[in-house]
Amino acid sequence: MNRIFRQVALFIFFIFAQVLVLNNVELGGGTQIMIYPLFVLLLPVGINIFLLLSLSFLLGLSIDAMSNTYGLHASALIVVAFLRPIIFRFTAPRDGYEQVSATNIHVMGISWTLRTLGLLLLIHHFWFFLLELFKLDEILYLIQKTMLSLPMSFVICLLLQYLFIKKPKAS
Amino acid sequence: MRNFLAFIQRFRVILFFALLQGIVLSIYFTFSTFPRSQYLTTASSVSGTIMTVRNDITKHFRLSDSNKKLQFENQWLRERLKENKLSELAENGFDSTIIKTDKEHYTQHFEYIPGTVINSTFTKRNNYFTLNIGTAQGVKRGMGVISDKGVIGVVHNSSEHFSVVKSCLAKEINIAVVIENSGEPGFLKWDGHNARKGNMTGVSNDREIKLWSKIVTRGSAGIFPRGLSVGKVAKTQAIEGQPLWDVTVQYSENYRSVQCVYVINNLLKKEQHELELDVPPQPTEDE
Repeated sequence: MNRIFRQVALFIFFIFAQVLVLNNVELGGGTQIMIYPLFVLLLPVGINIFLLLSLSFLLGLSIDAMSNTYGLHASALIVVAFLRPIIFRFTAPRDGYEQVSATNIHVMGISWTLRTLGLLLLIHHFWFFLLELFKLDEILYLIQKTMLSLPMSFVICLLLQYLFIKKPKAS
Repeated sequence: MRNFLAFIQRFRVILFFALLQGIVLSIYFTFSTFPRSQYLTTASSVSGTIMTVRNDITKHFRLSDSNKKLQFENQWLRERLKENKLSELAENGFDSTIIKTDKEHYTQHFEYIPGTVINSTFTKRNNYFTLNIGTAQGVKRGMGVISDKGVIGVVHNSSEHFSVVKSCLAKEINIAVVIENSGEPGFLKWDGHNARKGNMTGVSNDREIKLWSKIVTRGSAGIFPRGLSVGKVAKTQAIEGQPLWDVTVQYSENYRSVQCVYVINNLLKKEQHELELDVPPQPTEDE
């Protein structure tokens, strides 16, 4: 019960963080900070893929409804959710995920987070800007947008994890 | 049949993914050009209410700024009042500041509905503003929106109490504009890079265009009255292989700080539209 409540709270937090704060941050050069793929990363490892896809569909559409993007965020997030199991297998630690209680930075360590979160965010941002521009002759602008937004989103995702997720007690 | 079921069983994840992706993409490609409902925009009551609460908190940050803007606009309008003009028999005889009001009765052509911007974006490819007025106040899809400094955009979609405005920072904004001095017509576009600059297309390059000449609305579609400020010519560049200028427009309004706007209701739009329908279609040359 407590765990479900936690996920719901996270869900609402990511909507409001994106809509009320990050949509209004303008850094120039087409930079746009998006942190909600972190929600997909933080969901439990053994989660049903259909539940995962449905949740990301709902989160994406909720953000879309409040930033007038008509399904852009949802589309990018569904791609991320679909590729999450593949990426997780790709970056699996030596002992697999059986002993893992959560996939945050304290449990998994910096190097796993760097690879997994980096990949998830890269796919998300690239897909998002690809759909948004939808023009092949703007490919350089697409790469510029992705490469400028990615580090900013990544740093904020890391900071959020360090600030708001409690370190588990050493056993 | 059994093979078909086995197929679904095997690829069920991919099929579910494709289904969701199909829903989302069809929403994206149809609703951004023609919105069928207001539920997936900030015009819906839930997100509209959230934006109103946010705006109630943040609007005070720019209070003195917007007060000053309104004061300047009032001053400008006050100077145009009949009471503040000398009568036609002024001492100096003919004066250019005299407004002739020999015709007593005028027909109201445009109506203005005041509103406030409660949400706006400016970093996306297509940017929309949300206003706190809707169909209850008479706002409809396709009406023009202006501020004291210039054109803001066109109403894209409206619910009972909120409306979404496609701003001049959108791909397919296509407002008919004209260069004030030379009268060259064209269309306003936005390339998605700079929130202070747009483009004007369709200007033939056989005429010289002066830098910093004013660009105003043309008023041909009946959305805006003629002569509303849009911006100034910041740069002209020849397009390769076409007899056209690529005109860069410096917008007169800073879209990041817009608060008070007016929605324009053209009372004679129906009449203009019906008259234009009577024009027989032009034979096209390609056939």
